[in-house]
Amino acid sequence: MPEHMDISPPELIKDRGSLHPINHMKDSIMDLLISFGFEIVDGPEIETEEFNFDMLNIKKSHPARQMHDTFYVENKLNLLRTHTSPVQIRGMLEKKPPLAFISGGKVYRKDDDATHLPMFHQVEGIYVDENVSFAQLKDLIYKIIYSLFGEDVELRFRPSYFPFTEPSAEVDILSKEGKWLEILGCGLVNPIVLENCNIDSNKYSGLAFGLGIERIAMLKHGVTDIREFYKSNLDFLSQFK
Amino acid sequence: MKIAYSHLSQYIEENPTIEQISDSLFQLGHEHEINSDIFDMEFTPNRGDCLSLNGLLRDLAVFYTVDFNQEIYTEKLNELQLDFKNLSESTCPKISFLKLEIENIPETYKGSLDNYFKDLSLNKNNLFTDVSNYLSYETGQPTHCYDASTMRGKLLLHEIDKNEEFDTLLDKKITLSGKNSVFSLNDNIINLAGIVGGKSTSCSTNTKTVIVECAFFQPEAIIGKSVKYDIQSEASHKFERGVDPDCHDRVLRRFIKLVSEHANIKDMSIISYKSKDNPITQMPVNVGKINQIIGINISEKEYLSYLLKLGFIVEEGLIEVPSFRSDVKTQNDLAEEVARVIGYDNIATLEISIPKKEKTNHKAIENKLRFFLLDHGFYEVINSPFVSLSSEEAIKVDNPLDSNREFLRTNITNSLVDNLLFNERRQKDSIKLFEISDVYLSSNGINKKRKLSVVASGRVGLNYEDFSKKINKKYLTALFQEILPKEVFDFEILSRDLLDTKIKNEIVTLEVDIDRFSTNILSFKEISKSPESFAQYSPISDLPSSFKDISYSIKDYSKTQELQDLLLNYQSDIIKNVYIFDYFKNEKQEEIKIGFRFIFQSKKVTLNSAEIELIYNDIVTKSLNISGISIPGI
Repeated sequence: MPEHMDISPPELIKDRGSLHPINHMKDSIMDLLISFGFEIVDGPEIETEEFNFDMLNIKKSHPARQMHDTFYVENKLNLLRTHTSPVQIRGMLEKKPPLAFISGGKVYRKDDDATHLPMFHQVEGIYVDENVSFAQLKDLIYKIIYSLFGEDVELRFRPSYFPFTEPSAEVDILSKEGKWLEILGCGLVNPIVLENCNIDSNKYSGLAFGLGIERIAMLKHGVTDIREFYKSNLDFLSQFK
Repeated sequence: MKIAYSHLSQYIEENPTIEQISDSLFQLGHEHEINSDIFDMEFTPNRGDCLSLNGLLRDLAVFYTVDFNQEIYTEKLNELQLDFKNLSESTCPKISFLKLEIENIPETYKGSLDNYFKDLSLNKNNLFTDVSNYLSYETGQPTHCYDASTMRGKLLLHEIDKNEEFDTLLDKKITLSGKNSVFSLNDNIINLAGIVGGKSTSCSTNTKTVIVECAFFQPEAIIGKSVKYDIQSEASHKFERGVDPDCHDRVLRRFIKLVSEHANIKDMSIISYKSKDNPITQMPVNVGKINQIIGINISEKEYLSYLLKLGFIVEEGLIEVPSFRSDVKTQNDLAEEVARVIGYDNIATLEISIPKKEKTNHKAIENKLRFFLLDHGFYEVINSPFVSLSSEEAIKVDNPLDSNREFLRTNITNSLVDNLLFNERRQKDSIKLFEISDVYLSSNGINKKRKLSVVASGRVGLNYEDFSKKINKKYLTALFQEILPKEVFDFEILSRDLLDTKIKNEIVTLEVDIDRFSTNILSFKEISKSPESFAQYSPISDLPSSFKDISYSIKDYSKTQELQDLLLNYQSDIIKNVYIFDYFKNEKQEEIKIGFRFIFQSKKVTLNSAEIELIYNDIVTKSLNISGISIPGI
């Protein structure tokens, strides 16, 4: 037998693990936004009604504050944050404009079906400076969506309603199947919210936006049932290396 | 809310097509679907004023010539003598009652009333209830009809705070609890204010005399009640979103007109109660501010023309918000009106430039940990914080979605052990998981801890070097010493006694605060990287899998690569994975022993042994065609 000694062993394939696709998507979006000039702020998942609702102009009568929409803890003393917006409130109270924050993480709402879960992830951003306009918000949203979905994607802005932004919009992209899919919510920061954070709304204005991470991850990865993300099935997770 | 295209178009001079109206509604922010010429509308919660035919027409008036001044009864009305007291004025600052007696009960309907029931395929009740329902559709103002013959005595609107049974007109008994505003007649509850009327005073097909209640209820007093009592109530839906407080006289006169088109009216009288006037919102005309908010440059003339078409009043440099638009309070609200009219998609972008910040290393330690674990085959998972197990430090959720999961977890490891068992049940024999998460504890207030949890069991790896090694404390300790040689971590062996499993492999766990890790970890050079693209997911199979091993003896070493190429790239719908689990080069015997493990699983059916044998035999045949290779035993 010739050349017995020259043979090398088979390639040793060491299995590498994978980041969770939701965390990977969240990190990717946060990195993108950092490249636009935003800085990260963090906040707690257990919040007060003041920061989660009051400071954001979500009035006592708003449906989101009902027991069937929000998880309350400790005899309604606190709640599980329903969005990452309270983090931005904390940021605005700490720093003075111009400021550009993003916050990302888990949020909680009383939903449970194929497209909604009681726990999901958001990334939100806020930019406050002099003369920030809706037209600039549109420019930023185009940049975010083009970065995520490519410059060929068709998108549209729809008037919407959020108590903490005015004007408010929802943004859809056109899927390959010709269906409009909601991607994010955005708007100009309601002057009431700025004033709540001791920011002079006559001098400063701001823009804000929020993205649901699961929604975008489902679109980018082609996952149709949101619950797949949280079964911790290795056959599922190993596809996202 | 369903609104018929024909009901809208009859009031629009330009006679637009359904598609044109659809486009206009969309631009204005009113989402909808169209089914058989019916718009199924979904309004944002701030636009309660649009929850009617007239409300939608008011918005469409910005694009079309709209005239919807439906006929009303215009003659003077007598004052109704009613023994009524409003003890709940903060909840209901304005309320009116109309009493109407008719001579005859019509058998059929005509005009708008008839079209409403026919076009929207609705069921009729009785004349007065039907007119009330139609008026809610046309004007957005809910009214409630009492059969006047049942209404003798003292009528009171007041707040109660006690448990009390109430028999609704929907043939459903509910138990009122907490604070509720109710109408009582002689101390008996006859109406849950703004939500649903009672059975005892409801109208029937025989009712000839009606008392119509037309009220403004504060949204705060109504909100959440229909959900609380599980009642489908269009009235409460409208009151929750805000109705026009100044419309009562017109609505009740329209009520009279509609009834008069169907029956002879014998008698009628009206009375209104008002505790305070609706506050008027006024703002200065400031087109510069509007242009700055939106980032456009329109003239004042153009700006005001939009507002006038939407029903705003402009006088002496002031803009007065109409009473039906309780959502408009600031210049930003006015800017949104202008932006909707222009169309969000028609507003040109303006370049944004946010000053760049110095890059900070956010969560550097925990990110380094994640990639270190990835390098060693660990998979990151995310688990729900809701658990059934309680501990003294667990925070209880007041209103859990599932009563079996009413606490927030106090550790991550239990979730990971569940994940491990889930994967073991799916025939996984090498499982390494980690999660980094905040954990909240209740001790002297709320304490947040950011933790790493690691759970591993089974084979160290699915390759010929690690296949026969089992995960244990020693393995994991050595792993962590690689990055943090001076730090000691307390790995634990979890007993399987209480777990629902027959597998015997050791389960090794570690749960540690992230701040236990020092910055020394930052010098670790990871191999794993964050994926640069987003992999397309291929649906996974939940059907059982099985495996087959084939061990080869290779005398002609030069054929080793050919065998690997054949087996590692063998294509079959039912082979899920293949790897080399054994490799040994015996220098003395001049022989290489190499073992391949094939994992079989179908995405469609549970595989039987014959289906697996078919592929297995094909693999064996093809591999043995390579000279110098044999399978001991075959």
